[in-house]
Amino acid sequence: MTTEFSDDVAEDYKRALEDLTMNSRYEISNLTVIARENTEHALAISEALKSHIKQTSPQKKLPAFYVLDSVIKNVGTPYTIFLSRGLYSTFMEAYALVDNSVRRKMDEMLKTWKEPVPGALDTRPVFPRDVTGPIENALIKARTSAIQAQQEHTRSQQQILGRGRPGPSPAPYRETPTPPNAYRQPPPVQQGYNSNYPQQQYPSAMNGQQYGQQPHVQQSYGLPPVSRPSSGKFDYTNQDQRPPTQNYIPHNASAGSWQQPPPQQGYSAHDNSIDELNSDIANLITVFKTDFALNPLDGNIQKRLKALLDLQSIMQSQRLPPQQISEIKTQVAKLSEASKATPKAPKSPTPAPVPAQLPQQNSLSSLLGPGGQGTLAALLAKQTPPIQTRSPQPALNQPFKPPPVSMAPTPVPDTGSLFEKLLAAGIISGKPAISTPTPNIPLPANISGYRPPFTPNPSRTPLGEIPNDVVLKTSSLKILYEKLGAPCTQCGRRFQSNEEGKKKKTAHMDWHFRVHQRMTEAEKRGQHRSWYVDELDWIKSREVEGDQNTSNGDKTNGSGVTSSSITSKPKLQYLPVPDDPALASSTCPICTEKFEMKWLDEAQEFVWMDAKKINQRIYHISCYEDVNKAGIKRDTPEPVLGKRKHEVTTPTGCRIGKSNKAQDDNIAVRSKIKTESY
Amino acid sequence: MNIPGLGQAAPAATFSAPTIQAAVAVHDLQANSEWRFEVAYGQSIEVKILSGTAEIFGTELAVNHTYTFRGTKSSIFTWHGCRIEVNGPCEEYMAEETPMITYVNTHFALEKLRDDAIQNGGEGPRVLVVGPNNAGKTSLVKLLTAYATRMGRQPMVINTDSREALLSIPGTLTATPFASIIDVEHGWGSSPTSGPSPVPVKLPLCYYYGLASPEDDTKLYKPILTRLALAAASRLADDPVIRGTGMIIDTPGVISQGKGGYDLISHIVSEFSVNTILVLGSERLHSEMQRRFSAYKTRSGEAITLVKLDKSGGCVDRDDTFMQQMQEAAIREYFFGDPKRTLSPHTQQVNFDDATIYKIHEGGEEDSQQVGLYENVEPSSMMLHCLLAVMYASTRDSQETVRDASVMGFVYVAEVDEKKRRLKILAPLNTRITDRPMIWGSWPETTVSLI
Ligand SMILES: [Zn+2]
Ligand SMILES: [Zn+2]
Repeated sequence: MTTEFSDDVAEDYKRALEDLTMNSRYEISNLTVIARENTEHALAISEALKSHIKQTSPQKKLPAFYVLDSVIKNVGTPYTIFLSRGLYSTFMEAYALVDNSVRRKMDEMLKTWKEPVPGALDTRPVFPRDVTGPIENALIKARTSAIQAQQEHTRSQQQILGRGRPGPSPAPYRETPTPPNAYRQPPPVQQGYNSNYPQQQYPSAMNGQQYGQQPHVQQSYGLPPVSRPSSGKFDYTNQDQRPPTQNYIPHNASAGSWQQPPPQQGYSAHDNSIDELNSDIANLITVFKTDFALNPLDGNIQKRLKALLDLQSIMQSQRLPPQQISEIKTQVAKLSEASKATPKAPKSPTPAPVPAQLPQQNSLSSLLGPGGQGTLAALLAKQTPPIQTRSPQPALNQPFKPPPVSMAPTPVPDTGSLFEKLLAAGIISGKPAISTPTPNIPLPANISGYRPPFTPNPSRTPLGEIPNDVVLKTSSLKILYEKLGAPCTQCGRRFQSNEEGKKKKTAHMDWHFRVHQRMTEAEKRGQHRSWYVDELDWIKSREVEGDQNTSNGDKTNGSGVTSSSITSKPKLQYLPVPDDPALASSTCPICTEKFEMKWLDEAQEFVWMDAKKINQRIYHISCYEDVNKAGIKRDTPEPVLGKRKHEVTTPTGCRIGKSNKAQDDNIAVRSKIKTESY
Repeated sequence: MNIPGLGQAAPAATFSAPTIQAAVAVHDLQANSEWRFEVAYGQSIEVKILSGTAEIFGTELAVNHTYTFRGTKSSIFTWHGCRIEVNGPCEEYMAEETPMITYVNTHFALEKLRDDAIQNGGEGPRVLVVGPNNAGKTSLVKLLTAYATRMGRQPMVINTDSREALLSIPGTLTATPFASIIDVEHGWGSSPTSGPSPVPVKLPLCYYYGLASPEDDTKLYKPILTRLALAAASRLADDPVIRGTGMIIDTPGVISQGKGGYDLISHIVSEFSVNTILVLGSERLHSEMQRRFSAYKTRSGEAITLVKLDKSGGCVDRDDTFMQQMQEAAIREYFFGDPKRTLSPHTQQVNFDDATIYKIHEGGEEDSQQVGLYENVEPSSMMLHCLLAVMYASTRDSQETVRDASVMGFVYVAEVDEKKRRLKILAPLNTRITDRPMIWGSWPETTVSLI
């Protein structure tokens, strides 16, 4: 057992490792066997393995980790001892360099290291807690700080959305540990909730025990299918042409006879500790509410209170994976520590700047970030996929799940309407009128044998399905509730669950999202009451069902009102999002705002709405038209009015007028830029 | 776990605002009951529906969404029962007896008429709501509006009550189509601003009457109503969705209280081709309406349907102080928005000589016959803190034209410098206003300085 001999073994081992380019069960168990048969060289082998992990390219790191995993779980001591040394840096350095999908695998692996080897007699964890704990903490910090930039981005939106209310439930948990842009995602993902949003947020097989067989991992990111980047990315599933069973699948019973089936470590762990956590959160909320009452202007307290309330509603409405629960626990514990120490002014988290287009590989330091202190708010922000720097609101991200719509049969219309009865009761014939009968009949009003003394009007329209019961039946109320579909979580408006309703709902949520987004901008820019419209414009304007004008018309006021000059435009004006990255990041030269990106179903691509390319520059169509119109001074009031007066008095002879409202608003916008010259 | 921070948080002195301590209360409402609440001006409460269904004047509330109410008297009704969380100081009580069933039945009856109208290409019902002050007319109008919009209708809502504005400032008479959800936190919601709105804004057409009661100057009130009706009719003729839904017309309580008022009801009935009258709460008014309209036919030959409805017990008497505060709040909101969405008005200087200001006569009707509708006045310190309605008209237009014009917006006289002969004016946005005539009414009264 000379050092030289050890060196040879280590050298051999290293070479074998270098050949390990993919997740190969055969090679991994081979390397495990070698390690088992050479425990006297455990130190050398361990060092070789660690240095290999450090030096090898990111694509080969995961298979090497699988070797490490296999060795410690199947051989154990003394490898556990040697490999735990420096495991922190081995793990973290690799983590910083690999892409998101590999991080996910590493997260899962780390999780198994905190557990005993499945089926083993030894009930101690694979690695001692003091080895895995620091890694885990560092990962939480890294995530937190990476998210804070994004958090900063969306914070103001969330405040608008939340305003201290626990309203938005965040997006379902995604197995996305860290992430700024490890995948080179096409920008369109920000519209991910639109059409291609997968209903399944986390693959059911994800029990933290499987590393290999998830050919659809990319789906679990909640993104529209994207073509995988082909250059320089390790594709650990698709590139492996072998049958999946050839993969090393740690702890999967099918992986090898030398392993016992793993215990089911599902997400349903709903145990006392969660109740405890819930009550801790509730306690913290009480504390912060008190703080808030005492310091109503303290933004930090507000922020944290809101985060806590949000967290509470998440905890109540969702089942979180244990990993996240434990993160929350850590954060809650930290927060109550913090509030113990400085109850009034918790330190504001310093956001780590994370540029939107990070290079694929983050350095460890950028991951850990300068502001390591995790906050609940940041933790919560993790609920939004961090790649979405301008992402939809979490709540909007949730797939729409209509509550079961009552299948109760359409109530048979009662014969005789209220009015018919009233009329018959003598209003017209001069008999004393009755007041509307039967007030305050409790529901369900079940008057058996009640038959109104009228025969149905034969000309009753089929729409008369709506009953005009004098005695209200519970079924009638369904017309205002269940029959309208499920309500929007933001405003209570109901949407049918049919195709049309779903489309409307999507457009509606889109509208909510954009309003929240734009409110932040508007708050900064300053806004003002518009002039009322004049008669002619008002007559010519059309209500467009509140918020359905997703394509245009609400650029300035979100009014849900479109004026004729707007509606008469071609329906959808858009431009496919340019491929050229320079163009893709361009803003409208007129208003300097970004373009509104949208997944357009009919075009099957991501588009910029209200955008047009003119002389190699992209403009908002509305901005462009305004500017071109701007040369034309608004008519003097008199001639317009004269015409208007005439037209209003002849209702059918109305002419379409220009949109004074829109123009006034634009004048206003421009006058903001100009000085006040009047 | 320890609860840190409670004792050491802050000195007791900061507890100066007692309202902030108000605890969170949770109420369980039975089906068909109502939770009525009053929030004083300057205070706010947060309300959240934890479960069940709930509506405010017919608008369904989202579950688990926090609604904030400031300075209001309102109520939350539930058909199915609900649990409400209330955070903040308010006066509150439960009511189990409500006329909601007759109200919702009225809605279903109107729906039937709308279906028929759409089937036949005709107009949906033009519904007039009459009743004495504090009978709940506006609440009923709101309820019927909300129910209609929930079902995809677009009712045209007409406000003929200058005492209380709808999406505008008191003193105005308005017509507003409702196609989207009503902003339950802000009465009827907001008229358009330059920024986005979390609840779709509504687009009112405004006319300025400028007096508190229609009976103050019926010679002014009637032609303005006629003009309003004309515009509304034009919109209906032009807009099939609104035409099929029809109109819902709110009225001032005062016209339900005597001979002069009844004449005004007749005027409204005729101008708006009303074919359905809902009488709230008053037996006497009901028989008067019966007498007047039992043989009446609208222009298109329709008979009038008269329905008597119980007034809601939830209608609180709103005293003058409350009305005054409401008025001020409406004015503030017009210029400055609300806490969730602040607006930035502009000030501008206007030379006395550049302003065209018409003052509404208050002396009564003989006066106006002699000297015309308005008095063309020079700005004076009398105008300080008053509102002026900027009209969509030209300074060269006749007074009748100015009267019939719709309102472009309101400005507030912030300062009057009689020496330099300049006014400092607060306007919602920075547009030249001196090429428009402005009307100076006595309503709304503004007694406080806005700036
Ligand atoms: Zn909504
Ligand atoms: Zn632009």
